[in-house]
Amino acid sequence: MKAIEIKNLTKKFDHLVAVDNVSLSIDYGEIFALLGPNGAGKTTIMNILSTLLEPTSGNARVNGYDVVEEASKVRESIGIVFQDPSLDDRLTARENLDIHGRLYHMGKEERAKRIDEVLEMVELKERKNDAVRTFSGGMKRRLEIARGLMHRPKVIFLDEPTLGLDPQTRRHIWDYIKKLREEGMTVMLTTHYMEEADELADRVAIIDKGKIVALGTPSSLKDSLGGDVIRIRCDRCKEMADILQKNGFNARIIDEEVILNVEGAEKVIPKIFSISKNIEIYSVMYKEPSLEDVFIKYTGKAYREESPDGMANIRIRLRR
Amino acid sequence: MIEDVYAIYLRELIRLWRQKVRLITTIMMPILWLGVIGSAFNNAFNFSGSSDFLSFLTPGILVMTMVFTATISGITTVFDREFGFLKEMLVAPIKRESILMGKMLGGVTQAILQGMIIIAIALLMGVKFSGISSIPGMFLTMVIVSIAFVSLGLMVASRLTSMEGFQMVMMFMIQPMIFLSGAFYPTSTLPSWLGYLVRINPLTYGVDAMRYFAIGYNEFNIALDFAVLIIFSIFLIIMGGYSFRHSK
Repeated sequence: MKAIEIKNLTKKFDHLVAVDNVSLSIDYGEIFALLGPNGAGKTTIMNILSTLLEPTSGNARVNGYDVVEEASKVRESIGIVFQDPSLDDRLTARENLDIHGRLYHMGKEERAKRIDEVLEMVELKERKNDAVRTFSGGMKRRLEIARGLMHRPKVIFLDEPTLGLDPQTRRHIWDYIKKLREEGMTVMLTTHYMEEADELADRVAIIDKGKIVALGTPSSLKDSLGGDVIRIRCDRCKEMADILQKNGFNARIIDEEVILNVEGAEKVIPKIFSISKNIEIYSVMYKEPSLEDVFIKYTGKAYREESPDGMANIRIRLRR
Repeated sequence: MIEDVYAIYLRELIRLWRQKVRLITTIMMPILWLGVIGSAFNNAFNFSGSSDFLSFLTPGILVMTMVFTATISGITTVFDREFGFLKEMLVAPIKRESILMGKMLGGVTQAILQGMIIIAIALLMGVKFSGISSIPGMFLTMVIVSIAFVSLGLMVASRLTSMEGFQMVMMFMIQPMIFLSGAFYPTSTLPSWLGYLVRINPLTYGVDAMRYFAIGYNEFNIALDFAVLIIFSIFLIIMGGYSFRHSK
């Protein structure tokens, strides 16, 4: 059985096709990222998987349960951290978790024990009895993650877990997510931050306009671009290019630089030095393809990333 | 099911306790009504009923305050949506009905607490209630009235997408219902057009029932009062429940 299985899933809002015939399956223990720009359909997929929305056609199973037919079984077995805040900020951290535990039918002692565990994990134990409205944005997000884990779900959904957070808090949250991997939990996260997907995910689905345009491990996606780009600045470029060509590299001269595409640049560079004889090399630069390059390749357009402290933050503040 | 309702209700209780200062500020208006209007009119004219005007007015003010509190409490579901907690409840493995019942119990509790504070104030002002025997009837009336108006609030809340419409509802729906309910005056001596409006207002029968139990004065048959109140409540529970279930 797969943790998540999506077959030909489509969701239409009036005339807008938010999710367009998506099929996907995710194994237990996997950290899976849905990566795409805002409005790509990531949150819609997540809302369908968490039973908040019904699909227009196709079907999805989570933990083996159908998200429409067995919605309440699905809900019992998953944890969700929404993109927008969903804590009761008049209540304390403990109370938020306690009510959550009750809603998921946990016994009294189990609740008390688990509250301490999850608060410990997100380093909020000393704020246990403080009202959530006194928490910073990052602390609230950590508490939401703790709450999502409270009832020991098999699968947890994280919708834009670091949206609008400062880099330091982001790091923290990444660490928690990595800890979940160690515990063998299945995580599905959406993000529009390339480096977040790269850092955390075992597999990434790049999604654009409701369709999955690329799917694979971050490194396989990047490798599919055909390796790295090396740029060499040296005193006799022509001679250098000739030598490299003789050794089977596709070297060319652009703007007085020798440029070559290789697979595994870090292994090729020492070789370049050993065959370059007495040519003086001023500098060697190479660039690994990023997920951004992958996105550009598959969608044919540049990826505009929302600045983490720009609009996103303003939106969060307006919601408060 | 019971535990689910209790979880939702518990949250309402905690919130209520945290906002206990608000409980005190919202009884300022009834105090002014009873203290100023009640006392002033008490001496201004000789009331034809069995008791003084202040005692006549008290059940009316009691109903008025509870109607306000219950409606507002129902409408606070808008906040739950605005601040996201509604989502937390909607993805939990519980029935929508449990959320609805928990919210409703929370609103009823708040309205009844408020009612009890007003009764205490009225007692201090020297209002003569019928005695211990009046308690069950008054309590029952309070419960039915507050259930009806919490439901009304829930119904309104599922239509409202923001807090802006809230003032509109209070001004154009709740205020007229209160003014046309006989909460402040006897209905038997009204000009005919006004008397007609008062008689089609379901709240009139709530005020009448409350007055019957509180001070032993009434203008309609108590059976009629309860028939109207119960039908009105059931109608609003169904409407409120329906709107809540179908709200997005």
